[in-house]
Amino acid sequence: MDANKLAKQILDLVGGDGNINAAWHCATRLRFTLKDVNKAKTEEIDNLDDVITVVQAGGQYQVVIGNDVGKVYDALVAIDSRLGEGQDDSTATADQPKSKWSIKGAFNGFVTFISGAFTPFLGAMAGAGILKGLLALFVALHWMTPKSGTYLIWYAAADGIFYFLPVVLAFTAAKQLKVNQFVSVAIAMALVYPTFSNTHLHLNFLSIPVQSATYTTTVIPILLVVVVQKFLEPLFDKFWHESVRNILTPLCLLMILVPLTLLIVGPISNAISAFLAGVVTILYKAVPALSGLVLGGLWEVFVIFGVHWAFAPVMMNNLQQFGYDPLMPILLPAVLSQAGAALGVFLKAKDDKMKGLAGSNVITAIFGITEPTVYGITLKLKKPFYCAVIGGGIGGAIVAFSGVHANVVGLASILSIPTFISKGLPLSLVGDAVAFILAAVLTYFFGGVNNKSTKDAAPKAATNDGETALMAPVKGIVLPLSDVNDQVFASEAMGKGIAIVPEDNVVTSPISGTISVAYPTGHAVGITGDDGVEVLLHLGIDTVNLNGEHFKMLVEKGQQVAASTPLIEFDYKAIKDSGYDNTVMMIITNSKDYDFHFSEDTQADNNDLIDVTPKAE
Amino acid sequence: MEKKDFNIIAETGIHARPATMLVQTASKFSSDINLEYDGKNVNLKSIMGVMSLGVGQGANVSITAEGDDASDAIAAISETMTKEGLSE
Repeated sequence: MDANKLAKQILDLVGGDGNINAAWHCATRLRFTLKDVNKAKTEEIDNLDDVITVVQAGGQYQVVIGNDVGKVYDALVAIDSRLGEGQDDSTATADQPKSKWSIKGAFNGFVTFISGAFTPFLGAMAGAGILKGLLALFVALHWMTPKSGTYLIWYAAADGIFYFLPVVLAFTAAKQLKVNQFVSVAIAMALVYPTFSNTHLHLNFLSIPVQSATYTTTVIPILLVVVVQKFLEPLFDKFWHESVRNILTPLCLLMILVPLTLLIVGPISNAISAFLAGVVTILYKAVPALSGLVLGGLWEVFVIFGVHWAFAPVMMNNLQQFGYDPLMPILLPAVLSQAGAALGVFLKAKDDKMKGLAGSNVITAIFGITEPTVYGITLKLKKPFYCAVIGGGIGGAIVAFSGVHANVVGLASILSIPTFISKGLPLSLVGDAVAFILAAVLTYFFGGVNNKSTKDAAPKAATNDGETALMAPVKGIVLPLSDVNDQVFASEAMGKGIAIVPEDNVVTSPISGTISVAYPTGHAVGITGDDGVEVLLHLGIDTVNLNGEHFKMLVEKGQQVAASTPLIEFDYKAIKDSGYDNTVMMIITNSKDYDFHFSEDTQADNNDLIDVTPKAE
Repeated sequence: MEKKDFNIIAETGIHARPATMLVQTASKFSSDINLEYDGKNVNLKSIMGVMSLGVGQGANVSITAEGDDASDAIAAISETMTKEGLSE
């Protein structure tokens, strides 16, 4: 496909750039708001080879392109940079279809963005993590002292990527969001500049006092900066003339974003951090087990958001005041639960790459290096992370209840157990074991490890809780039902479902069940699933008027079918050529009895697109 | 119990769209409403049920309603039948 040519054709056919108010794109569509829709030559656009269809909905003029839409959009912006300002909603969730905004959707998008930023350098991070673990082991075995040159050099080799994590993240996150990578890296380097690592530094910026905070090893601040950069960069690019843009846009971004981060992100994370440390300390005094539950369960969450470091001064302070610290041992279940979750993934994973990564991360996490595990495995798959939170919380509660305390404060790992020698040690070891085993078992059974889409649907093996998966009935491009160009379907009057722009002639059954409707005209078929879900497949819009032409019904009413049994053959191209919309709709006509989970896949090809669970009575 | 007979004149019979409209109308009422065709009786509040009959042009169907708002239901359904061009 020639994206440049296609972009130019589309631009001309929608009435030229003068007719476009805004242009942006989602996972499969170019979306325009046009000044005058009548100027757009819809039929000609529809007939372009690489255009799947044109949809007009919600005041938008949508040209469905498919997965290459990003290239076409970029080409469009290259022709007219003004169009690049539009509501480009392809930012953080570029790889996901744009569905209605929801907290869950935003959270998933955010997690996808984080793990996407980590993916490119997971190997390097895991390697460094193993080296770090080995060094800790060597020290514990007294083969090395932490002051020896060998140790220090290897430690630098192991710790570099973790210490300067914001720099690496700036690079990958900027690439994901398509902003100037080197500007992002420059900002990140400024944040980890040695000047700011002195937490007792008191600075004023334009007479506003700057709270000191540490940005080395942090994750969230730089990701936020890159997201802000995504908004600011196009503004400056537009403001400055082309001849000076390459220099002045970075200048402005650096001048603004570095102090902005130091002024805003630092104080906020300081405040949250101090608050959490305070809450846990008070809780520990009142109900130790509860503080163990919170700290053990949420420690890795604190780490992700970089709000964990206020605990270090608290622990140090405990050590100074009482000669011991009770919080440090609670971190061990948190760490071991990540190792356990990684073990669960290792045992369950069918994918060799994931298996290998998970296996090595069991070891690194046991030695206290959890970053590669969290960002590469548990958080990426989401459910194993929740399993680890449960394991860590319960283990942490047991440890806190045991009353064990640490005599030294340092990195929590299996090697720090000797520093925990005190009265409650045996029971605390039980807590550590519980965290590890519980996380592993939960992940193994409920971790959704082998879900193709790694989304949060339960694994196939666990579908005996009444959940039914509906398979894609035809190959093609998945669209939300609300995008269908027909009110009856789009309004969900018939029920919830999805639409597929077909790319194949055979329509198959999404579930195992009985044929309850087999229209003689072949344009619609209904299947009542073995467990009662009623699925209607409607092929095209108004295609009842074709009276059977281009359709061939392959099943009879009352016939038993298995999932993926061919039901109808239809000539989707001829139907489109006859002037009909050939979109295939899969609708659950008894929707009110079910809860729905829609897959985020944009391609339909024998994959599960919808999970339905009967509503509790 | 209220009952009314209809002769389906629409060329394409009761297919997805009119079935949806009928079911939406029927679902507004608390009465039990059934559609009878060719000796088979289905719940008029179920899209799949209505569609499973495969009612075509020229078919004679009868609709029965039983409950407090039965006569209102029959009236509303008659209106939908006319509006959707299913029956006169």
